Amino acid sequence: MTAAIPTIALVGNPNAGKSSLFNALTGARQKIANYPGVTVERKAGHASFADGRPLSLVDLPGSYSLTPASPDEAVTRDVVLGQQAGERRPDALVVVVDAANLDNHLCFALELIALGLPTVVALNMLDLATRDGLTLDPAILSRELGVPVVPTVAVRKRGLTDLLAAVDGAILSHQTQATAQPAPPPSDVALHQRAKAIARAATLSETPVRRWTAQVDAVVLHPALGFLILLALMFVMFQGVYAWSEAPIGWIEGGIAALQEAVTAALPDGFLRGLIIEGVLGGVGSVIVFLPQILILFLFILLLEATGYMTRAAFLMDGIMAKVGLSGRGFIPLLSSFACAVPGIMATRAIPDAKDRLTTILIAPLMTCSARLPVYTLIIGAFIPNSNVGGSPVGLQGLVLFGLYLSGIVGALVVALVLRRTVAKGNAAGFMMEMPRYQWPRLRDVGIALWQRAWIFLRRAGTIIFVTTIALWLLLSYPKVPTDSTESQVDYSVAGRIASGLEVVVAPIGFNHDIALALIPAMAAREVAVSALATANAIEAGDDEEAMAQSLSERLQGRWSIATALAFLAWFVFAPQCISTIAITRRETNGWKWPLFMVGYLFALAYAAAGITYWTAVAFGLG
Amino acid sequence: MNPKLDSAKLGIAVRISRIDWDHMSHDEGRRLREFGLMEGIEVTPLHRGSLFSRDPLALAIGRMQVIIRARQAAMIEVAPTAP
Ligand SMILES: Nc1nc2c(ncn2[C@@H]2O[C@H](COP(=O)(O)OP(=O)(O)OP(=O)(O)O)[C@@H](O)[C@H]2O)c(=O)[nH]1
Ligand SMILES: [Mg+2]
Repeated sequence: MTAAIPTIALVGNPNAGKSSLFNALTGARQKIANYPGVTVERKAGHASFADGRPLSLVDLPGSYSLTPASPDEAVTRDVVLGQQAGERRPDALVVVVDAANLDNHLCFALELIALGLPTVVALNMLDLATRDGLTLDPAILSRELGVPVVPTVAVRKRGLTDLLAAVDGAILSHQTQATAQPAPPPSDVALHQRAKAIARAATLSETPVRRWTAQVDAVVLHPALGFLILLALMFVMFQGVYAWSEAPIGWIEGGIAALQEAVTAALPDGFLRGLIIEGVLGGVGSVIVFLPQILILFLFILLLEATGYMTRAAFLMDGIMAKVGLSGRGFIPLLSSFACAVPGIMATRAIPDAKDRLTTILIAPLMTCSARLPVYTLIIGAFIPNSNVGGSPVGLQGLVLFGLYLSGIVGALVVALVLRRTVAKGNAAGFMMEMPRYQWPRLRDVGIALWQRAWIFLRRAGTIIFVTTIALWLLLSYPKVPTDSTESQVDYSVAGRIASGLEVVVAPIGFNHDIALALIPAMAAREVAVSALATANAIEAGDDEEAMAQSLSERLQGRWSIATALAFLAWFVFAPQCISTIAITRRETNGWKWPLFMVGYLFALAYAAAGITYWTAVAFGLG
Repeated sequence: MNPKLDSAKLGIAVRISRIDWDHMSHDEGRRLREFGLMEGIEVTPLHRGSLFSRDPLALAIGRMQVIIRARQAAMIEVAPTAP
């Protein structure tokens, strides 16, 4: 029994700092953010005691008790009670409590201690307790609880060695002692009274201090002003995506062009040169160019998450969400879906009501994820003038981007309204959530998270986008068009002929051969639409010097009408062009029924939206 | 009839005198208790609703702040705190 590596689980209330502690002890980079319900699944990692013996650490979703209210909390109960299939029960528990909110956090701690496993309490966020004017005595707390209590500040890696030493000691003394029989669980009221009494005993002094959280909330949660601030924040985000990315995008474009020249000079004309210039640099490069924009978007979302603003946004949006049968709780996964729908859909596990959760999953792909940014930016850059609206500092391109995001949100709300009255009918969803204190974002954490996102994006570009683009390049390059033919290489190729078939279906909504060609590979990932257009364009240009010098957006301007471009944008607001989203929906809903439903309704909406946009634009003379 | 939490004045602490547990679902009631909302406890309503509705309600319970819906607040009877 002692030979095995001990498994130690981190348990406690939501937002107590379990994942921060997990990261500090294992060196992992689990997501940390300042709102309850960040971690939604069990995560294991390795650490070691001071003398080098290994231990296995498990990070769990936060919960208020061992009676779960949502799917993520059920995981915590199952792991702690040893009911998780295929997993051993943990050998010891580290109960993480927020030192500034002992009244509440000690309730769950008492319930966990009563289980009789070796247990240590991590008195975390001691720095915040001090900020709030609290002086606590860990020794008294330890005496009252009957288990070791170790003060920690997870985000500054303070108290980690003591914590592990205490865990080691607890496991040892547990083996030598007779195991106490688990006591029957006390009533909620008794538990709270006991928690309060212990908290009072352990609090040496409590000075009233300026609670700036209250002052900020007076403004941020103001019924009218608060809403304007939320809108203004989102608006600045989309303006920022344009305004601040211009320079870095220029650098990347310059770098790619220089590489293309170098390759042209170094390699003879042929298969390899075509592959590298048209497929790799032209195709994949056209997607990588958007890295700065994606990072700016992520920076905004990370800052909102780290400060504690997310729950305030949920508070403000609850009124609107309630009208379509959802709750403010659902706004948090939806806002995460601006980055990517996949983690957004996973985050819905923190939603208690099953129908509420299902609806949120089904509308998550309508949130404009960062993979749409390249598509939007390319088309907006080519067809919307880069000017300001009526002499104001508001850029027209940023405004159109904001409009596309808004269409996604409005579309999602309308769809939710319909779903909640049809396939996902159920009781009105409730909304009960804890509101965390504000915190300053930690530069290091934000920096690491940004770097992770950049890495994920580049890996995507290097794998799925790369492979799809190269496959498309091959299908576009063969068979070679005979020199005496009047057809272009693209039209003559395998891919071109397939696209001509699809064109018949999408021609009514204003889509041309270029778009038909881009749509199929873009099923793998939306960004591929851009690399596909770029690759086809590069092949078409061939060795024509003049055509080569034109940028992709200049070429598109010459080939597409404005009506077609707008229809293409409208299509991408709705179309479910992402294999990962379909796969995660299958996993989270346990079957093919809902992902198929999702794909079906989204394609139908995309077709209708593109069509209506096209016909309207043509009616206004933009065809 | 006693005043209910959903119409209590913002910024003024009140004491919970009774909660109508029978008119809410089991899970709802349990989550309220897990937040520490139960008879005899002092709470301060802080913020109510946004531009579009009277929902939700943010409360302070001790050092914690929680958000609940007006429908639940309507089932919580409150009395002035003892002076
Ligand atoms: N000041 C301070 N902040 C902390 C400390 N530990 C964690 N935090 C912050 O508290 C917030 C929540 O931390 P997490 O580690 O995500 O909390 P969690 O317990 O894993 O939360 P869930 O996964 O939602 O249950 C983040 O904003 C952290 O930066 C601490 O010791 N001091
Ligand atoms: Mg966590």
